Amino acid sequence: MSLIDLFEKDVQELENEGILFSSLEKLVAWGRSNSLWPATFGLACCAIEMMQSTNSRNDLARFGSEVFRASPRQSDVMIVAGRLSKKMAPIMRRVYDQMPDPKWVISMGACASSGGMFNNYAIVQNVDSVVPVDVFVPGCPPRPEALVYGVMQLQKKVRGQAFDQKGIELPMVEGWKS
Amino acid sequence: MSLTESVVTELKALGGKPAEFKQMVSVTVDVSDIVNAVQTAKSAGFNMISDVMGVDYLNYPQHQGKRFSVIYNLYSITENERMFIRINVNDGDSVPTITGVWHGANFMEREVYDMYGITFENHPDLRKIITPEDLDGYPLRKDFPIGETPTVFNDGRFIDPAAFRAGLTGQDSGLSGHQGGMRKGYSADAPMPDAPKEA
Amino acid sequence: MTIPKPSPLTQPGVTVSDIETASEFETKLMRLNVGPQHPSTHGVLRVVVDLDGETVKRLVPQIGYLHTGFEKTMEHRTYQQCVTYSNRMDYLHGFGHDLAYVLSAEKLLDAQVPVRAQQVRVILTELNRIASHLVFFGTGILDMGALTLFFYTMREREQILDLFEMVCGVRMNYGYFRVGGLSKDIPEGFVEAARKFISGFPKMIDQYATMFAKNDIFVGRTTGVGVLTGEQALDYGLTGPSLRASDVSLDFRKAQPYSGYENYDFDVPTSDKGDVNARFMVRMEEMAESLKIVEQALDALEPGPVKDPDRRISLPPRQELETSMEAVIFHFKLATEGFHPPRGEVYVPTESARGELGYYLVSDGGSMPYRVKARVPSLINLQSLEPACIDGVFADMVANIASLDPVMGDVDK
Repeated sequence: MSLIDLFEKDVQELENEGILFSSLEKLVAWGRSNSLWPATFGLACCAIEMMQSTNSRNDLARFGSEVFRASPRQSDVMIVAGRLSKKMAPIMRRVYDQMPDPKWVISMGACASSGGMFNNYAIVQNVDSVVPVDVFVPGCPPRPEALVYGVMQLQKKVRGQAFDQKGIELPMVEGWKS
Repeated sequence: MSLTESVVTELKALGGKPAEFKQMVSVTVDVSDIVNAVQTAKSAGFNMISDVMGVDYLNYPQHQGKRFSVIYNLYSITENERMFIRINVNDGDSVPTITGVWHGANFMEREVYDMYGITFENHPDLRKIITPEDLDGYPLRKDFPIGETPTVFNDGRFIDPAAFRAGLTGQDSGLSGHQGGMRKGYSADAPMPDAPKEA
Repeated sequence: MTIPKPSPLTQPGVTVSDIETASEFETKLMRLNVGPQHPSTHGVLRVVVDLDGETVKRLVPQIGYLHTGFEKTMEHRTYQQCVTYSNRMDYLHGFGHDLAYVLSAEKLLDAQVPVRAQQVRVILTELNRIASHLVFFGTGILDMGALTLFFYTMREREQILDLFEMVCGVRMNYGYFRVGGLSKDIPEGFVEAARKFISGFPKMIDQYATMFAKNDIFVGRTTGVGVLTGEQALDYGLTGPSLRASDVSLDFRKAQPYSGYENYDFDVPTSDKGDVNARFMVRMEEMAESLKIVEQALDALEPGPVKDPDRRISLPPRQELETSMEAVIFHFKLATEGFHPPRGEVYVPTESARGELGYYLVSDGGSMPYRVKARVPSLINLQSLEPACIDGVFADMVANIASLDPVMGDVDK
């Protein structure tokens, strides 16, 4: 076998098994998961607990998510903190659409996740019907610790270590194709 | 003679009907007299508008007369007294605005318009204030549904909140099957006082 | 009936539209949309301003982006269940809303609230007022560009929330008050913990004073900005600390005392300047006064019942359910139907951290309120934004919004 053939075989192997690129993808995901910058989308009570989660006691900065960006263009994750009224829903969708891909959504609190105690004409009963939610955090409002845990769960999902209800591994977000 | 009493006397001359319930004085005046009445109260010393609110008496038991009431909540800082002026209106009636007397009535009247559909004549900016533009109807009217969605369980069962609540409170046997005993608020051991009497 | 046409201002997503020409200076008015998703509008407030250069010529607050339908929902809940709703309206001063609501319901019922319950209510409401003002300082100064104070105020707020957690198990949205008293007595160790907090807190107030109140940058940024005279403030229905900053001494804790406020010795701080700085400083002094009230209430605390003994209003004690059939019946009645107040309409004004707060309750004799009208301070205070901002520069609008302290849940209901 000539040297060229050998080289071609190596390239073939690499392309088939994708060792190089899959490792790079994991590296990107690892880096990405540790700098999830949230957009400030405080709506109601939960927004106060979201603010508390960045303070000295709870220190969301340990997980790289303390940089709340006012502009959706600079943020990776939207924390929907509080009850979403039907008047606000189109605006929230607009803010979500302005965020660059890849992007994630945490639905914080009972009202955002299920309408909570407000089962009426004014409140969207689940923000999943407006934007795709990745992590639901229960509570009314959730403690800051609960939000920090939710962010940690999201990090797992970003790194491709999350599983669905049947135990099947959820796919990782594509590294750079999208 | 306190400030409230003197204002009540003045409003009686306008055709107002005073009533008192738990030390809260309210005077019912004609719709056309409302600006005059509020102006009278203001010049007598009620220097703060606290609130303007609406009430829909559609389902109120034994209610007679017009459907809506608009209640003006006035407060005097110097004399530390509070009084209420009310007007009764029907669906479709419009009310003269009092934004000329107090600028602060602006949002309050807009809220009444938004929630009850009572229009205010000559209001500078009568638009919906709270509900979305595309919402039809006026949410706090009694014939506006609360808009609950059923609570759904995994196996297909669901709870209808209105029926569930009616069962609990005895208005209806509902899903719980409980027949409430103290219906409509009347029971032998708790005699109910009557509605506020006209003085 | 004629329904007015909606103005183009209310269309969502209008950013810069109709550019009008001002004749005198050949400059153009620009219409600028701020919010509802904006870091400096305290939630989902949207403000549409017409600017001439950098000067605000017209300003219209657009609200309703957090409309939750509280009043409609409370018409479909029993009187007792409504307590869980009232505190979510103003989530920063939840105990204040709870107190206003239960006072109205108690007036309707003629309930006799035990002294201890009243004292505990005062302690919690005043501590909550401090917590609310702490958020006001932290976020207000954050809006003006200073980040540091936020972490300091949040640190002290955590300590207050720890006290609340001792009492009712949650940090916000308490639902601890009951019509006729409290849900249960305060736990052992609460008084000591509260005393520990109030002994350390005055030092923190001094720390804030050095951080912003005496800071030249802050003073220069806020003095003479957004001046509201007393007449203007009354005309626009302003209440609370913002009104007292305009030299009108109106505090319902003094004017019409409720829950035994007449037994405590405290002052009502006022200022005659009426600007943003005064609105900050009045709240600063108010925290010290609240601390005084808490201290006196803690001293006055005596053991005793915390519920109205009337079985038709408050639940029987748990241990009685095992021996008394009658208690079981009352428990069942209260837990399913609730109580039935007599017909009538009541209103009790209270002083929340933002101003006059009262619930106008209409009862038809049933177990649910026929109509609940919350006289919320934030909504009505927000009207004063217009006179405060007109002919000021745009950057001062942010300081004005912060100084009026609107809570959007309170505004939109």
